Amino acid sequence: MYPFKIDAMKRLNHILLTTALCSVLTACDVLDQEPQAEVSESVAVTNLKGATAAMAGMYNQLQDGNYYGRNFVLMGDVAADISQSVGTWDFYREMDTYVTAPANRENAAMWTRAYRAVNIANTLIEAVPTLTDIPDATKNAILGQAYFIRGLTFFDLTRSYGGVPGVVGTMGIPLVLKPSKQVDDSLFPSRATLVESYAQVESDLLKSLELLPETHANITTTRSQAVKGTARALLSRLYLYTNKPQKVIEYANLVINDSKYALLGSYESIFSGAFSTESIFELAFGSTDQSGLRNWYFPSSLGGRGDIAIHEGFYAELIANPNDVRGKMTARDNVVGVYYSTKYQKAGNIDNVHILRIAEVYLNRAEALAQTGDLTGALADLNRIRTRAGLAASTVTGLQPTLQAIWQERKIELAFEGHRFFDLVRTNQALTKLVAVARKNGPPITLTNAGRQVFPIPLADIDSNKNLDQNEGYR
Amino acid sequence: MKQIATVLILIFSAHLLHAQDRILKGIVNSQEENTGIPGVNVVLKGTSIGTTTDANGAYQLSISTKGGTLVFSSIGFQNKEVVIGNQSKIDVALVTDTKILSEVIVTGYGTQAQKTITGSIASVSGKAIENIPAPSSDQLLQGRAAGVQVSANSGTPGGGMMVRVRGTTSINGSSDPLYVVDGIPIQSGSLSAIGLGGSTTNPIADINPADIASMEILKDASATAIYGARAANGVVLITTKRGANKKAKISFGTYIGTQNLWRKPAVVDGTTFETLINEASVNNGQKAPYANPAGTINTDWREPVFQNGLLRNHDLSITGGTDKIQYLVSVNNFFQEAVIKGSDFKRTSGRVNLDFTPINKVKVGTSVLFSRNFRNRVRNDDNISGALEGSFFLPPNLPFYQANGSYTKFGTFESPLAAVEHNDITMSTNRFLANVYAQYDIIPGLSLRSSFSLDYSNIQEDLYDDTFLNNGAAVNGSARSVNTRDDNWVQENVLTFQRSFGNHSINALVGTSVQESVFSRTSATGQQFPSNDFRKIISAAVQTGTSEGSSWGIASVFGRFVYDYKNKYLATVNVRRDGSSRFGVANRWGTFPSVAVGWLLSEESFMKSVSAINVLKLRASYGFTGNQSGITNFQSLGLWGGNLNDLGDVSGSSAYVNLPGTAPVQLANPNLKWETTEQTNVGLDVGLLKNRLKITADYYVKNTRDLLLAVPVPRTSGFNTLVQNYGSVQNSGVELGINADVMRGGADKLDWNVNFNIATNRNRLTKLAAPFTVYNRDIYRYEEGYSMYSFYFHEQTGVNRETGAPIFTDVNADGKFDANVDRKIVGNANPDFFGGITNTLAYKGFDLMFFFQYSYGNMQLHWNRFFQEHGGTRNTNFMTSQLDRWQKPGDETMIPKMTAENYSGNLRPSRFLEDGSYMRLKNLSIGYSLPATLLSKIKLSSARVYVSGQNVLTFTKYTGLDPELTGTAATNLTQGIEFYTMPQPRVYMAGINVSF
Repeated sequence: MYPFKIDAMKRLNHILLTTALCSVLTACDVLDQEPQAEVSESVAVTNLKGATAAMAGMYNQLQDGNYYGRNFVLMGDVAADISQSVGTWDFYREMDTYVTAPANRENAAMWTRAYRAVNIANTLIEAVPTLTDIPDATKNAILGQAYFIRGLTFFDLTRSYGGVPGVVGTMGIPLVLKPSKQVDDSLFPSRATLVESYAQVESDLLKSLELLPETHANITTTRSQAVKGTARALLSRLYLYTNKPQKVIEYANLVINDSKYALLGSYESIFSGAFSTESIFELAFGSTDQSGLRNWYFPSSLGGRGDIAIHEGFYAELIANPNDVRGKMTARDNVVGVYYSTKYQKAGNIDNVHILRIAEVYLNRAEALAQTGDLTGALADLNRIRTRAGLAASTVTGLQPTLQAIWQERKIELAFEGHRFFDLVRTNQALTKLVAVARKNGPPITLTNAGRQVFPIPLADIDSNKNLDQNEGYR
Repeated sequence: MKQIATVLILIFSAHLLHAQDRILKGIVNSQEENTGIPGVNVVLKGTSIGTTTDANGAYQLSISTKGGTLVFSSIGFQNKEVVIGNQSKIDVALVTDTKILSEVIVTGYGTQAQKTITGSIASVSGKAIENIPAPSSDQLLQGRAAGVQVSANSGTPGGGMMVRVRGTTSINGSSDPLYVVDGIPIQSGSLSAIGLGGSTTNPIADINPADIASMEILKDASATAIYGARAANGVVLITTKRGANKKAKISFGTYIGTQNLWRKPAVVDGTTFETLINEASVNNGQKAPYANPAGTINTDWREPVFQNGLLRNHDLSITGGTDKIQYLVSVNNFFQEAVIKGSDFKRTSGRVNLDFTPINKVKVGTSVLFSRNFRNRVRNDDNISGALEGSFFLPPNLPFYQANGSYTKFGTFESPLAAVEHNDITMSTNRFLANVYAQYDIIPGLSLRSSFSLDYSNIQEDLYDDTFLNNGAAVNGSARSVNTRDDNWVQENVLTFQRSFGNHSINALVGTSVQESVFSRTSATGQQFPSNDFRKIISAAVQTGTSEGSSWGIASVFGRFVYDYKNKYLATVNVRRDGSSRFGVANRWGTFPSVAVGWLLSEESFMKSVSAINVLKLRASYGFTGNQSGITNFQSLGLWGGNLNDLGDVSGSSAYVNLPGTAPVQLANPNLKWETTEQTNVGLDVGLLKNRLKITADYYVKNTRDLLLAVPVPRTSGFNTLVQNYGSVQNSGVELGINADVMRGGADKLDWNVNFNIATNRNRLTKLAAPFTVYNRDIYRYEEGYSMYSFYFHEQTGVNRETGAPIFTDVNADGKFDANVDRKIVGNANPDFFGGITNTLAYKGFDLMFFFQYSYGNMQLHWNRFFQEHGGTRNTNFMTSQLDRWQKPGDETMIPKMTAENYSGNLRPSRFLEDGSYMRLKNLSIGYSLPATLLSKIKLSSARVYVSGQNVLTFTKYTGLDPELTGTAATNLTQGIEFYTMPQPRVYMAGINVSF
């Protein structure tokens, strides 16, 4: 009896002591919890898999409804004479009528989403060169895409919030070039000048051109992710903004001579199909990754919300020539009594979004050729687009009429793809063309405030960052 | 019988007179329960001669002929002395010593004599809350303890509660107290994954209130600091009943009741509806749309929605033990239907509490609860698909069914009839809450206790919306199925030392605690079902699934030192050091100290002469506690994830079509830490007139700093906000508790006890990054210098008697009212004071208890009125308050003339804010206990029958369905709002408790 007791006591002592120690030892373990649904920023991009995933996440920012998935495309048309806001979503009505508030939700969403893409690009640019498990070719391909996306995003931000040199604005955008990791002074940038901002776009695009491959694994990824051709096409557009026609021609030539790209015979097939030869940069969508444009144009009877419709005046231009295939991609909503675009028409909202296509590059070159005095060459490019659309060749002569013809063609060819407002500002026509634009649910609207040729810096950032100055038109 | 016994005793006595030594026998019984008490010390006074009673309470003692006095003593009973005289058989009945029992109360990691306590602790005994029908014990704290504010989020059975101990201390985090059940810090937040408007579920309902021996609410820093980083909102210690060294006692209790609505929604009928719409149209210069209001149909949409709900409870327990082993085993079955059809709560639970002394000095034991709950849930509390909301909104001039037999639907609202008949939302919870411990008494006064505890919940939720419901119609049936697992373990070691040295006595402890919590959830959705008969997702044509998980851990060391000198001068020092996985690396460990002093003036010689004052104690405490709940598990880390829903405007994966993607989710904040509450408390305990009148008063100031706020960062960073420690809030108040034995009865006299408490709490935001508004239409505003839950409205001062237009305050005094700018804080949902009063009376076998609970000075937002006093600007039904509208010049009213302008959509008139003060007869019960004489015949030790009511009477000016409802529960930041919320029922019930 007695020995047993001692024994049991000893054992118990031992157990108690061990438990006590255990708890002290495991204490440290329970403090080291790892998230299950996320990974730490420090390990997010530490190998090929992580870098590839971050790269996909970067394209995902472009896909987002706040950016190219809907919002940015709508902004470029609603703020111009292409589309009008006819629904309940007042944020587009503000843009439509040039009373955009700095607090405008869609405007802020575009800014936010674009800078999210920049942050991922910056992370890749910083991390990828240090990775050891990636062959140089792959490394360059990823880095090239990061530079390209940063260039594209800075370009979109600069033309939206900065302006166009010589037309409007002197302030550019905050050029954030390092990934954001925690709150320090680097999180409160001020705005670079407009010239510096465009210079950064150019340098990013040139860097990407250096690094990118000519093609990716297959034709889909070659057109849905950036390659050298993508960078060249965007450069040809960029130089229109910075008024360097020779450079426009140089890069447009490279794209047009690239056998991957050619005008597609059928205009409608560009949109009803996917990744045709027309496409240079086509943002891919699918049933798990839907785009919002169809929903916003289509009426409720067809499962849309019908918030955005075509301006009556522009509709008239679109259908002016019954042979123009582009005028046929419209329909009427009889309940509300408006016309809408059917460019985005796929059931399930899976329409891809065309950021760059070869028709634009022809028009870029046409414009630059005209500016450099080669009106014949310009007319040839213009007529390639007209012929494809089912129209007779133009015989326009003289510099200004030629430029006007090119810009009118650009308006119709690239309608509902988010170009018009920026093209009007770029060509210094916004204040003369955006005059008495008839609207369905209100009086005609004129853009009178020259400072409103750019959008306001979102209020959230004006409030949270005292280093940021608001655009003059919104002070 | 008595006479015979006396005669016998006399005969024996006479006989024994001649004996040198004699044997004295007897039985020691409990006076209350008439059962033998084992282990009673029986000692001949002034000697070491003595024995203890056996399991049946019997004893036998050899004594000399000289006689003397026997002293009977046992813990928990008053000592009794009996002169032996000539007796050879002495049976005694010991009286339970309520004084001694109440002198020891449960504290964090131990117990302590009430006398030496220097902190502020409120105690609610199990007795006070027994047989009150409530699924969860937190509800039972309502009105029972000063400074503890409790209200139901809604009347949903098993639904969420709001509990505040000394005010709200957090904006981003929870302000709920920490719940500790038998030493286990439990999971107390809602684990439901399926959102049904503002309705939440309450995990405290997993615990059977009948098992509770006492609940202690730790309020000041001295009492709570031992729980460190989780103690800023107070701690509720729930102690369950345990076995005792007594004969087995079997208890059975049951009650059954019915519940109904105290008030029905005040909506108008079809004729009135059409008349009002016509009036509004004419006022707006339009043609009256209804030709013949008198001839229209009158559909009462409320009729299919409400019911008399059944309430039923059965408890069975067996408790007892020997000196080596004590046990309590109990089972419970509780069922409550809501007053809205289709909603109910059922709990089946079992408990085993065991204490075992296998070897001398070593004690091991368990507390085990397993609980299985089943809820049928309905959409309510701000849900447009819910039956309750539909019954308010649907126009009464529409029929239940359309001509083709389909349900009448209106706008976005669900048909209340369809909502009731086709609702199919279930939640079943299995919870296992258990602890095993071993305690070793190393030397007298020094013991080590180690325990391991597990709190495990597994929850299965299923929802099916068939094609008759709006949610299922468009997609051919819609289903969701979610399995949630929450797994917590805690390991603790506590070394306790207690000893007196002359005038000094100390009670000290040191301990360690490690806790880890792992959460995981798997859910699936399905749409496109072959027919309404197929309800499992396997039959759905479109199926999606997802899973998620998270975890946190906390490791702690803590200590306490309690010292008293001559039982007069008291001091307590607590400290806890917590390391939490949630804190940033730069602030991984937090230290939470507190000190308290007390002075028992009544022990001083100069006070001894004041016979009226039995106890007079002054207390003061100061210390720091923390709140880590505002930090999500990995908030301090810079994270990347595959899901983008962090920005609130996007959800879905970060993939680029088929390429899996990741994106930054949040910025790192390595400095992130707990919110710190600094609390000062001064208190006074007084016992007067032989302790018949006991008064406890406290004054406190709680300053909470480093409040966690989502501070905006420039979006050029790629992020919107960063949660930072910024901001502070102050709560201060006075609490008063009075317990009076107005009449101390005896066997045949009236016994009357009154327990009263009252408390104030003033809440003020002392530092904020910037003012912000919350909830739809920005109706709450958080601004520096104002209290939380402040209402932000257009202050309506009246209605113009000539024009019928509302008159609003011109806040910026620019001469005109502008809805965009002339908005202000017009009041808040915090009461000026609140509390409760309980009267307990007993006379012979009868007992009567009535308990009032009250709240004064709080504003309650009757938000239903905003939508249904619409003046014709909506096409939905009116509340009857619309009838008071201005109609002709001279009319004096707050309800404007029915024009589109007067009821413009951008107006937030303050007239919907009502005085939310109320006093409610929360409980009333009348019982009768059978007399002992009768009981012994039917072999029972006790039996009581009773009838009782809950929410019997309500006195209030508030016009909504229930003045107690606190909020939409969708956020911590809204209180005092009724928004199509299920009211608490009025309950009538009858029950019986027996034991043998």
